[in-house]
Amino acid sequence: MKGRSYLVSMLAGLLAGIFFVAMTPTVSQAVTKISFWHAMSGRRLPAVERIVNGFNAAHPDIKVEAQFMGKYKEVIAKTIAAVKAGKPPHIAQVYEVGFQTMYDSGAIIPVYKLFKPGEVDFGDVVWPIRDYYSVKGKLYSMPFNSSTAMLYYNKDLFRKAGLDPNRPPTTYKDLERIGKKLVESGVVPYGFSTGWPSWIFEQAHAYHNQYYANHQNGRKGRSTKVYFNKPFGVKYAKTMTRFSNEKVYIFGGREYSANKSFLAQQIAMLIQSTSSVGSIEKAAKGKFELGTTFLPRFEGYPRGNSVIGGATLWVLKGHSKKENAAVKEFLKWIIKPEVTMQWHKDTGYFPVTNSAVKRLLDEGWFSKHPNHLTAFLQILSGVKTPMSQGVRLGNFVEIRNIVQTALEKCFAGTAPPKAALDEAAKKANRVLKEYTELYK
Amino acid sequence: MGSRFPNKILPYVIVAPSVVIVVIFLIVPSIESVYLSLFSVSPFGNKLIFKGFANFITLFRDMEYLNSLSRSLVFTSFIVFVGLAVSLGLAVLANLKLRGAGIYRTALIWPYALSPAVAGTIWALLCDPATGVAVYLVKLITGHTYNWMTSGNLALAIVTLAATWRMLGYNVIFFLAGLQSIPRELLEAAAIDGASPFRRFWKVTFPLLSPITFFLFVMNSLYGFFEVFGLIDVMTQGGPGKATNILVYKLYEDGFVNFRTGFASAQSIVLFVFVAILTIIQFRFAGRRVFYR
Repeated sequence: MKGRSYLVSMLAGLLAGIFFVAMTPTVSQAVTKISFWHAMSGRRLPAVERIVNGFNAAHPDIKVEAQFMGKYKEVIAKTIAAVKAGKPPHIAQVYEVGFQTMYDSGAIIPVYKLFKPGEVDFGDVVWPIRDYYSVKGKLYSMPFNSSTAMLYYNKDLFRKAGLDPNRPPTTYKDLERIGKKLVESGVVPYGFSTGWPSWIFEQAHAYHNQYYANHQNGRKGRSTKVYFNKPFGVKYAKTMTRFSNEKVYIFGGREYSANKSFLAQQIAMLIQSTSSVGSIEKAAKGKFELGTTFLPRFEGYPRGNSVIGGATLWVLKGHSKKENAAVKEFLKWIIKPEVTMQWHKDTGYFPVTNSAVKRLLDEGWFSKHPNHLTAFLQILSGVKTPMSQGVRLGNFVEIRNIVQTALEKCFAGTAPPKAALDEAAKKANRVLKEYTELYK
Repeated sequence: MGSRFPNKILPYVIVAPSVVIVVIFLIVPSIESVYLSLFSVSPFGNKLIFKGFANFITLFRDMEYLNSLSRSLVFTSFIVFVGLAVSLGLAVLANLKLRGAGIYRTALIWPYALSPAVAGTIWALLCDPATGVAVYLVKLITGHTYNWMTSGNLALAIVTLAATWRMLGYNVIFFLAGLQSIPRELLEAAAIDGASPFRRFWKVTFPLLSPITFFLFVMNSLYGFFEVFGLIDVMTQGGPGKATNILVYKLYEDGFVNFRTGFASAQSIVLFVFVAILTIIQFRFAGRRVFYR
């Protein structure tokens, strides 16, 4: 008796299951559908749609379906869940700190393997971008939205404070002097702010040719020890903490929230991703004159380079040959000069290839939009060293968060810079140890 | 035994869908987390290393976890005690026979209709250190500027206020319903016996409200522990300096941002046990005092 009732309940469950399956729409076979999961919101979203629509119009047999999946951290989390469930997307946009995770995932097809040798000229990819995403000279993921950090400033506020609007800070000393002048003259309550504080901290290391972690920043082998609590890191944290106490600097949140203060003219300078140049330029138009310049330097340190941030497109395993061929077509499309030029104009992200840069120059784009050139000149005028090619750490996401917490503690005055960074380094080393253990 | 259901099979068929859902979405994942909590797991789940109870040991040795625990307790107690007190006060006021009472009641219920993301954005904009209205007003009055993005305790206070505010509407609805179901005769009788309004409230209204108060007490505790994720994510992301990193947010970060699945599973089990104990205590002690008519 009992057994039969269980049987019935199981049958009922089965029926419910069949019902749900029947509800899902059937896919037509004629067109190859490619799912592309990304994290581009705001002004970046229509720019992505423009690329995808252009591609779909030119390829009637392929339909790329771009889906906004939330922030970067959500895209990677959803991708992992999808891979585990056996239904990976074809393409996922993953941020630079997710590189090692994707590299070790066993769930991806490296871009260099996807294409036949010579099929795509990767030599045309702007070198700092190509370097960042290559392991032993082989490109792993498709460069898409790359940026670096630069300094934005408000020329009108500089004039109001009696400063030369054409002499923005070059060194941290200048930054302090100018910041103080701006605050003392009552033009703004605070001198400057930054987006992504721990990324800017990483930038500072690369820019001054300092290692962030051992084994050449994790590029020669899996890194096991971080170096950010060495004298340079401490100097940076101490300087910023002093700036914070002097009101030269105000902590402005983790991602883009500082942009708001800059546009509201509550601060006169902003160190932020170059990918904000499009939106800042547009918002500042008619309100104040915008200037941009290279990141400030500490005197007496060797020259490195500012480092690449942003995200790349990873190709996921587990799809048919036909689908992979369609993915290839799409990846070729996004590095076409016209496409990547438009992407650059729409967002401020770097155009991916040198041929696109040349065409932008030929068009006179940079002379009309000098702020879009600043980032380029900065990243191409640096020195190519192992310290400045980008940091590669296991679970970098968590480590970036740990550093973020340490910096917040410095600025809040709850821990002295050296102690905060030492504690963070201890935690980060533990994270690295756990990670390397997994992949021994 | 005489059954109310003459048909032996039908009851199982009716119950089956809920059983299936509970098994698939609750029991199976719970067992899986218990299992995973004993391992160190790679982000994509393709590598597993057995660790025994190491995850739990790390957890209780981790100052950050203990910090997170104490922050959660402060956060939830504020939501429960202050939130319920304020809600009750507002409900009593909204229950008065006033002109336009309907408008007040609707307005009071509004915050609950906002999604956590919207509520979080509103508060974040209000308190923005450079452009926020609240910061500006405080500066006008006291001459000081406050930056909650660098001051941990202030951030916790603001997030707690926001979370409490969002739950107000929910609490007020229940209290209002409770107040309106109190028989007028009882209050009138008390008034005739010469009880002051204050006494009437504490001796008649409050005890009669106790089932609802108790229900809200449990709901608000659960809200404080589990449902504030969205608000924290939008407003502070656990910062600054982990000051608003309450248990459920830490769990999310470790599990879905840092991909330390084993460690996060251990946390979820501890959180589950913790809340289970808390709920039992609530039923044991507070539940006894509840007066059911």
